[in-house]
Amino acid sequence: MSRSPSLAPQTIARLLLSTLPWLSCDDCFERIDSYAEAQLSAQPSIDRHLMVHLLGCPSCAEEAQSLMDLLSETDRGRPALG
Amino acid sequence: MSGICRDTAAPEVRDQASSARAGPSRDVARDVAADPAPDPARDPARDPERPTGSPRDDPPSDWVAALSSSGTEQAAALAHLHALMLRAARHQVWRMRSQLGDVGATTIDVLVNQSADEAMAVLLRKLHTFEGRSRFTTWAYKFAVLQAAAEVRRTAWRSRDVELHDVDTLRDPAASPSQEAEATDLARALVEAMTSVLTLHQRRITIALAVELVPVDVLAERLGTTRGALYKTLHDARTRLRAELVRTGYLPAPDPGAEAHSHVGRASATGVGSDVGPGRAPTPSVPAIPFSPVLSDPDQEVTP
Repeated sequence: MSRSPSLAPQTIARLLLSTLPWLSCDDCFERIDSYAEAQLSAQPSIDRHLMVHLLGCPSCAEEAQSLMDLLSETDRGRPALG
Repeated sequence: MSGICRDTAAPEVRDQASSARAGPSRDVARDVAADPAPDPARDPARDPERPTGSPRDDPPSDWVAALSSSGTEQAAALAHLHALMLRAARHQVWRMRSQLGDVGATTIDVLVNQSADEAMAVLLRKLHTFEGRSRFTTWAYKFAVLQAAAEVRRTAWRSRDVELHDVDTLRDPAASPSQEAEATDLARALVEAMTSVLTLHQRRITIALAVELVPVDVLAERLGTTRGALYKTLHDARTRLRAELVRTGYLPAPDPGAEAHSHVGRASATGVGSDVGPGRAPTPSVPAIPFSPVLSDPDQEVTP
């Protein structure tokens, strides 16, 4: 890989994103199942630490979104969560 | 200044869940080259309703008890659990399959089975930690989703070296004439801040993750560290950079009443607005969402 990346506005935004309040990837994994169910329920709750983490960690964000999509698929035909 | 990290990981033990898995697990690298292209019309993994080898009896009402039991009850629970793992792993691999390039159905199936097996082994080791804060099935899915996502990223990057760059490899912002003056100004200030307030290690990790977009688990594997450790390095670097740009007047001071704002996005649609710069007065925040366009902004109100 020999490309020479530039600091495009999106890159600057990524570099300067505030990831406070802090949450680790491990703690994100611990919470992500209950978070996903809450997001799909009739009354979603806010987990600010987790939401901030997902904005700053693309791998966790991908997995969180995927889990929610999977739950949506498997929950079709079942009563709504919550 | 750079360092090159090649994928030299030793072959992994992938048989930990062999008692319950549906088929043999193989190393994906061997399959990529010889795998025929998939026929979408015939590929069973494409059908989300495809049976996954689920047992015919009902799943256990108390998963932890059933999985912790013995005999036929445990065997049935393990079979049900493996079906869950397969479903989630298949969902994840297909979701990310564009990252794998032109691979065939065999490779996809190997990735799915391998991920399901390893996720199941991890879950069974952590079974005692299930606290019931979500449904057991949701709790189980997340293990397979994580494992499958990591497997896809690892496979996608298997043949690529990862170079660790310092700021001297970043292109001079002035070389992009189309960018607005403020963006160029901020970019220069940011590069200066990276040099002055970050360690070499922080610069290399930050550039790899946030500029070159190397997946965090791929980088962790190459460096022999953990995803969490690298994310912490990135978090610390971001915090230092923001503080330095606040000090030099390029970013407004954080609002003490709001802990989690994304002030970077005090920005126009291009991501860098006219209120960012030395001596500029703060204006309302427009949070940037650089990584995850589909997830909610934490500062937004959530309405039922």
